[in-house]
Amino acid sequence: MLTINNLVKHRGTQEILSGISFKARPGRVTGFLGPNGAGKSSTLRILLGLDRATSGSALINGKRFAELHHPLATIGAALDGFGAHRMRTGRAHLRWIARAAGLSRSRVEEVLEIVGLTNAAGKRFGNYSLGMGRRLGMAAALLGDPKILVLDEPVNGLDPQGIRWIRTFLRERAASGNTVLLSSHLMGELAETVDDVVIINRGKIVADGTLEEVIGNHSTLEEAFFALTSENAGDVI
Amino acid sequence: MRAFNAELSKLFSLPGIWLAFLIGAFAPAVFTALDSIAEKEEIIAGVSTRLSEVGYIGLSFGVQGVIILGVLAVSSEYLTESSESGGGQQITTSLTVVPSRLHFLLAKAGAVTVISILLCIVAIMTTVSATHLILGEYAPAFEWSRLIGAVCYWTFTALLAFGITVLTKNGIIPLAVLMINSSVVSFSVLLSKITKLAFYLPDRAGLDMFMFTSDKFHTPSTGGLVMFAWVAVFFIVAAIVFHRRDVAS
Repeated sequence: MLTINNLVKHRGTQEILSGISFKARPGRVTGFLGPNGAGKSSTLRILLGLDRATSGSALINGKRFAELHHPLATIGAALDGFGAHRMRTGRAHLRWIARAAGLSRSRVEEVLEIVGLTNAAGKRFGNYSLGMGRRLGMAAALLGDPKILVLDEPVNGLDPQGIRWIRTFLRERAASGNTVLLSSHLMGELAETVDDVVIINRGKIVADGTLEEVIGNHSTLEEAFFALTSENAGDVI
Repeated sequence: MRAFNAELSKLFSLPGIWLAFLIGAFAPAVFTALDSIAEKEEIIAGVSTRLSEVGYIGLSFGVQGVIILGVLAVSSEYLTESSESGGGQQITTSLTVVPSRLHFLLAKAGAVTVISILLCIVAIMTTVSATHLILGEYAPAFEWSRLIGAVCYWTFTALLAFGITVLTKNGIIPLAVLMINSSVVSFSVLLSKITKLAFYLPDRAGLDMFMFTSDKFHTPSTGGLVMFAWVAVFFIVAAIVFHRRDVAS
């Protein structure tokens, strides 16, 4: 369970998050939607202890990220950008992570197999395509076999097979009781995958509920998204 | 301990580190060999004034290897991926694996320390062998205390490079400044012509641990303490800044 509670983030004079709250529950895929710059990545970075909140909290099973004893086995994350050094091979990247988390080398081979990267594991990360990088990020997130997955734009750059694979994979994870939070701006794709939807715009939550609740009277999630985000944007011009 | 192992694993899987190893392990020996050839006649004749520097001057130069090591250990975390792949940095992965920033920094500094010590020991072996090969029975005896001084000098320099790079987040400036300072022009040596305070700069003080030249200012142990104080200050400042800094900033 992920609990975001009244999260506020200032950077300089700018308010990036203005008191947002939502939950991502076990057994469900929660989609975190918003235009670019709405505060999605900032929220995820605070959740993962990378950035500091000005106030409020982002808790993982009731604890802050820094308080987790086995972070990799609790929560797996693949953020925008893959967090790998371009001169290192995919396999070497996963190996140092495994070493830091006390996981075996055979687990590295397992996750490479799961994401379909075994054949490219010996190539340097700098030579990876966007889709391969995305798969490597997924592999890193899955290393500790965590109950919670947090993925930033997971289907960005993936080919149709990859997208289908991610979708099935995430549905399976949720079906076996895991928590999945994914951010995306690909509406059509998201509607096929998620149970719950949280929409953020300009640092504020503008919708939070099940997919059906958020779509409401609109014909699609995309319609609902534009209705909700442009209403809020209306006060600018 | 796991975090420390992971840091070792990171360093050894980085191609740039092998350059550091190459320079650190062999540059002092090559430098010493050339120096010994140039000085050979005078040394045999017993008129060389630089006998006490033979070998050590190579070791003071070879510190370049550990500068690269200290800088790369940190700058590799901040190397930005291509914008096409999202412009991420390895530091995001590192801190999601080891959530405690102090723990992370200590593990990394520990890995840099261990590799610096080992690298300096290798450098001492190649350098001493080089002097024996060229000067034969005229090769000076190497004292343990001075060699330990050289190991400390290398380790402290690596940690200084490390601390500075944590502050700059980018390897180019510390690499350029420190490498030029330790090879082409030493700012502290120049400054020491003007003010005695320059003898308290880290590199100048640290050299007194093993370079027994005529313009020596500190005893080896005070020199070491002065340099260590610099390392400690830089490390504490770096740790505080690193602890408070958002990864995204």
